[in-house]
Amino acid sequence: MSTQEERERLELLQGTLDLLILRTLIFGAQHGQGIARAIQQTSDDELLVEHGALYPALQRLEERGWISAKWGISSNNRKARFYSLTASGRKQLGKETTKWKRLTAAIGRILESEGG
Amino acid sequence: MFGRKREPGDFRSEIAAHIQLEAERLREQGLSEEDAGAAARRSFGNVMQTEERFYEAKRWLSWDQLWQDVRYGLRMLAKHPGFTGIAVLTLALGIGANTAMFSVIEAVLLRPLSYSNADQLVSVASMWERGGVTTPYSCSPPDFFDWRDQNRSFSSMFAFHTSERALTGRGEAKRLRAVVTTAGIFPTLKVHPIIGREFTAEENRKGANHVAILGYGFWQADFGGLPDAIGKTIELDSEPYKIIGVMPRDFRFPLRDSDAYLPIGFDDKVMTQRGAHYLSVLGRLKPGVSVAQANEDLVAIMAELRRLYPDKDGKWGVQAERWSRRLVGDIRPALLVLLGAVGLVALIACANVSNLLLARATVRQREMAMRRALGAGRLRIVRQILTESLMLAICAGAASLLLAHWALLGIVRFGPKDIPRLASVGLNTAVLTFTLGVSVVSALLFALIPAMRSSRMEVGSLLKMSGSSSREAGRARSILLVGEVAFSMMLLAGAGLLVRSFVGLRSLNPGFDPQGVLTLDVSVPDAHYKNSLALEDYWDQALAKLRGLPGVTSVDAVTPLPLSGDDFSSSFSVEGRNIPEKDQQSAELRWATPHYFRTLGIPLRKGRTFTDADRLGAAGVLLISETAAHMFFPAGDAIGQKIDFGAGGGYEKNKGEIVGVVGDVRHFGLDAPIAPTFYVPLSQAGMDGASLVIRAQASPAALGQPARKLIQEIDRDALVGEPVMFDSLLADSLGQRLFYMMLLGAFAALALVLAAVGLYGVISYSVAQRTQEIGIRVAMGAARWQVLSMVMKNGLEFVLLGLAAGQGMALMLHRTMQGLLVGVSATDALTLLVAAAVLLLVAIVACYVPAWRAARMDPLVALRFE
Repeated sequence: MSTQEERERLELLQGTLDLLILRTLIFGAQHGQGIARAIQQTSDDELLVEHGALYPALQRLEERGWISAKWGISSNNRKARFYSLTASGRKQLGKETTKWKRLTAAIGRILESEGG
Repeated sequence: MFGRKREPGDFRSEIAAHIQLEAERLREQGLSEEDAGAAARRSFGNVMQTEERFYEAKRWLSWDQLWQDVRYGLRMLAKHPGFTGIAVLTLALGIGANTAMFSVIEAVLLRPLSYSNADQLVSVASMWERGGVTTPYSCSPPDFFDWRDQNRSFSSMFAFHTSERALTGRGEAKRLRAVVTTAGIFPTLKVHPIIGREFTAEENRKGANHVAILGYGFWQADFGGLPDAIGKTIELDSEPYKIIGVMPRDFRFPLRDSDAYLPIGFDDKVMTQRGAHYLSVLGRLKPGVSVAQANEDLVAIMAELRRLYPDKDGKWGVQAERWSRRLVGDIRPALLVLLGAVGLVALIACANVSNLLLARATVRQREMAMRRALGAGRLRIVRQILTESLMLAICAGAASLLLAHWALLGIVRFGPKDIPRLASVGLNTAVLTFTLGVSVVSALLFALIPAMRSSRMEVGSLLKMSGSSSREAGRARSILLVGEVAFSMMLLAGAGLLVRSFVGLRSLNPGFDPQGVLTLDVSVPDAHYKNSLALEDYWDQALAKLRGLPGVTSVDAVTPLPLSGDDFSSSFSVEGRNIPEKDQQSAELRWATPHYFRTLGIPLRKGRTFTDADRLGAAGVLLISETAAHMFFPAGDAIGQKIDFGAGGGYEKNKGEIVGVVGDVRHFGLDAPIAPTFYVPLSQAGMDGASLVIRAQASPAALGQPARKLIQEIDRDALVGEPVMFDSLLADSLGQRLFYMMLLGAFAALALVLAAVGLYGVISYSVAQRTQEIGIRVAMGAARWQVLSMVMKNGLEFVLLGLAAGQGMALMLHRTMQGLLVGVSATDALTLLVAAAVLLLVAIVACYVPAWRAARMDPLVALRFE
């Protein structure tokens, strides 16, 4: 048993998964499993992403036109569906990121003052 | 949202690829083939749920799921035939009553009249104040001409009256229904003869008016539908009329088939007859003109007429009303009250089914919890409940059509004849749409509470069957039950008030004895009887012949006949009182033969009645009714006063000395006020028509046809109506009230049954749930009566609450009901008490059965009960 699994992982806040997916795709097209992996690794395994939950989110983003998808071949020669950011998705990412930063900064300030 | 952009197969292979990629990654990290696969699947989570969410996100209303829900629902409904049967029957009763009631509303109130742009057709009536109430009345020809020629709101207007004409010259006279009208009927109703021509304006004048346009049915029956009927001559009341046209097949006016349309034939003196009110007036509004605008226009014209003719028009007003509305007058509010009542019945039925569903939801908790645990969303569960409810309601809606069909057969057969278009009720498209709508709405209503509850439930507590949720269900059930009892209480109170009002009216004395009296309308053609002497002779002959019929005790004649719907009123002057014409009082006028009062049992109060000596040529005499004597001669000096009515209905003027006071007669029906009345001897009036009243010992009804034959022997051109028993006229005069009472009574009975069933169901269910508790109580020594009273108390608590609420609501209803009641207040304490007592009694029985069963329970069986 690794220490990692003993530690309780953070559950994702509602709505943040969309932001993380858009952010991950900024480095290029990626398939579902790759996105899940990337989020987990980039967050140093702090975040718990149930892989299954990823797909409704992907679908939602696709319907809104922020990402597009097509079938392709993965690095290890597997067929997979690759998602990439669209122009409006990129814009959305910018907006969401700003919003998130303002939110966390505000919450941080409140917590800080409470603690102090 | 409803389209399927992405195939589910495509999505499934994406997930498969994901799991494979993940497994490969894990293998690279050194896991075994088997462990890697398992771990990849574990980290993915619930594959099924993901796929399901893919479906649902695509389409909220998925046909696949709907179909699944329907099949599942069907299986559930089929598996519980008892539940399904009771629920469907309950709803079918509620919806069926609504369907039947709405059919009546649709036929009588909503269906447009069958004339083109019928909502432009407006009835214009003279307004007349009688007993503090202003009521619409017929119009006089000069008023009509002034309205027609001076208004700016109507594109056209016409005046008409209906009458019966004798088709003569072809053997026995045949009765024709005729509309006597001005030429404006064609542009106003936008209808034209299919062959031949319309009336000309010239034919409105007397002398030029001997032309006829035939109704389609009469043309088919008497002329074989041949076009050569045009130009032929028919004889009406022994006078020739040239046929100039035939009306279209589907033309009904006014609202019924008429045999002939005749021009009105005003004579030169017509403009002097401003006080002669006998015409109905219809107009067509110009496009864009409202009824209110037309009213303003007409009221201004009438104000001027009142100024110009204070004697004749001084007391008259005018009112325009949409014709469709005028036709249903006071029928409309009554039907709307009944529609409201039947809505309550539907609500009670819904509450019952809602209760059934709640009880069953408790049983199905485990099933629902299982479905939730296996991944069904809240929405999915709600949708499942809604689907099942809709299926129940649609089945009930279909079954209700059968019930409504039967109800409508009864309504057409037994309903009163004086509600226009009632006979044309049917389950047409409008009604079917309504039924579908009511079914869907009731499904939403009765599924609302169960659906809300089931979606709020937490999976964990459901699986554990915690007690809190069932307590909450109990509360919902009690609220529904209290509501049911309250609504039933309201309906019962309403029905009770109508019954009291009706019974009160029935017990009123009409002022005469209609039992064993046959009535027969007779009128003779003017052409055969040129003067009053000839007419006097005719009536003498007619009465003498009929007196010879076996079993006849007396025969007399009167016109207008009480309860016939006809009346005649006129202003009069009293000798010695110099009152200008416009301030003269008016009274009802009747013409009768000498022994009419004895034949009908109308009592003589003072003085004498007519005798055989009060004939044409003798001094004019009059009788006065008690009410009239009080009203016009409060000093009690009526007898001996000389009265002059001016022109009357016959050849002679009606004037004479009052010789006696007779009892009041309720001429307009038991529910109408008594009108002050004068009587004139028939022979002194020169009347060409009257109703014969024949009193006989045995069965007077059997005398009808022999009597008709005898009358026709005297003059074959005389028009003889259908013989009618007087007591059936009396019953018909309360026909509408009886109809409303029967309908509301039926709704109240239905409500009572539904409430009783609901009560029984809830109490039985709670007994079943408390089986173990009751078993323990009995085992611990509780007596049977204690158990009985415990259960009863539990049920009757709701009932008493419901009764209190219902009493309150019934009291609030008084304004709605007051218009339907005569002689009883809408807050009548006795009625409310009796209604409450009936409901309580039924409730006690409904609670007693399950309570008795609980009390007899074997504690050993009860304790083992799971």
